[in-house]
Amino acid sequence: MGRSILKNLIPVLIFMLLWQTIALMVTAVKGVPFPTPWQTGVKLGSLLGGQFLSDHTLYRHILDSLARWLFGFGIAAIAGIGYGLAAGWSRPFEDATYKILHILQLIPGLAWIPVAILIFGIGETATIFMIAMTAFTPVAINVLSGVKRLDTTFVRAALMMGAGRKALFLQVLLPGSLPAILSGLRIGLGNGWRVLVAAEMIVGTGTGLGYSIIQARWTLDYASAFACLGVICAIGLVFEQFIFNPLEQRTIERWALDRDA
Amino acid sequence: MIRIENISQRYRYNGRESATILSDINLTIPEGQFVCLLGPSGCGKTTLLNLVAGFIKPSRGRILFNDARVTGPGPERGVVFQDATLFPWLTVRQNVEFGLRQRGLNNNDRTKTATEYLHLVGMALHANAYPHTLSGGMRQRIAIARVLALEPQALLMDEPFSSLDVNSREHLQDELLRVWDAHRRTLLYVTHSVEEAVYLADRVIIMGPAPKSIYGDMILSLKRPRKRLSAEFHDIIASLRTSLDALPCCIKPSEKKSDRIL
Repeated sequence: MGRSILKNLIPVLIFMLLWQTIALMVTAVKGVPFPTPWQTGVKLGSLLGGQFLSDHTLYRHILDSLARWLFGFGIAAIAGIGYGLAAGWSRPFEDATYKILHILQLIPGLAWIPVAILIFGIGETATIFMIAMTAFTPVAINVLSGVKRLDTTFVRAALMMGAGRKALFLQVLLPGSLPAILSGLRIGLGNGWRVLVAAEMIVGTGTGLGYSIIQARWTLDYASAFACLGVICAIGLVFEQFIFNPLEQRTIERWALDRDA
Repeated sequence: MIRIENISQRYRYNGRESATILSDINLTIPEGQFVCLLGPSGCGKTTLLNLVAGFIKPSRGRILFNDARVTGPGPERGVVFQDATLFPWLTVRQNVEFGLRQRGLNNNDRTKTATEYLHLVGMALHANAYPHTLSGGMRQRIAIARVLALEPQALLMDEPFSSLDVNSREHLQDELLRVWDAHRRTLLYVTHSVEEAVYLADRVIIMGPAPKSIYGDMILSLKRPRKRLSAEFHDIIASLRTSLDALPCCIKPSEKKSDRIL
């Protein structure tokens, strides 16, 4: 137990050390105040204590970002899983649409900004649209390949035992592609999070962590910007560690698949 | 009764060239007979079994099961695959219940029937386990229970014990004979092992490469239970070996991975 704590602590320490070094070097060489880990920590403390950041508390920014993220991601997850299952089920549908998916995959998340603004104008909806677009492709691609990779013998076994189309779908394809669905969701969630922060910076939402970072930059409040970065990392870690890792662990164990299969 | 009439099967490579796997096969398997399809790998034994199962459609000819044409898989022809292919997300009992559920049995009857068949194959104690916690031999027992629970009129088995160690294989062969003996269902069994064929079958069909796919058709009148060490047993093995050795080598057809049956 003690060892594993130490093992987890070492990269953090190395990171802090690097950060500290860079901060001191930048401050010394360029003469601009680069926030050190300590300064950032103090700032984070006072923000958590209720200090306002671009007219709102940090909590408001976090909640607004989370809400946009989960909303956009929810749309992407439903659409992506639906698409993947449908395309895995019907070969003609897959053939007709798969190329589009590949093109979508090539578009970097931020490139959706003009599209988002043209369709939805500046604000909330545009941000959600961007998150949904970037999270959709990994989910769709993963689910589709999961359904297709499902062993033919599973399908044959089910048909041999008298499964109809509905049972085949609900009792075999859906549970059978669960590991692929989970890993698609994980990638989609990560992509969505990254584009959320960037989208808030540009699309101008008035609240949110990304918005706060860019505002803090205008006011030269770099410590706050860094504090927001820290919060963003922390939220990502929480989702990874406490939601996806345990879920994946369970399915991988039961499905008896290993990570690189 | 299974009737295989003028069956030919071709596979396509890269969508253009094709290879003939089976050509002009005619066979009649009467009710209750235990038939082994014996032959080197790549000569189309599994293809023939898949045709009877209805997993693939013949390029030419037709297959009749109890005088009805086979157009797809169904629970009256239960299949045991080379790998157990149990659904990993279901417990052992739920796996056996899968077919019963499709038949619309209610919860109680399902559990009762499943438990009964798990008993039959000696796996009742593991009813609540998940397949990944069991050994290959145990999984194959469950695969057999799952198929027996369908109460099929025929059993189709594709080298079901080939990936097991010798000890479990011989055990399972004996249990299969015991189960088969109790109901005397038609049983079509693919194997490349001469010993296995001689130990199990009423009738051995020797398959070799196309264009002449069936090389021999032999009734084994050896009394059951058979003794693996008897002189008679070894004589039959030796004579079968001789005819197998005379066969030209087979070329392994690469069944395309992307072949989907949906």
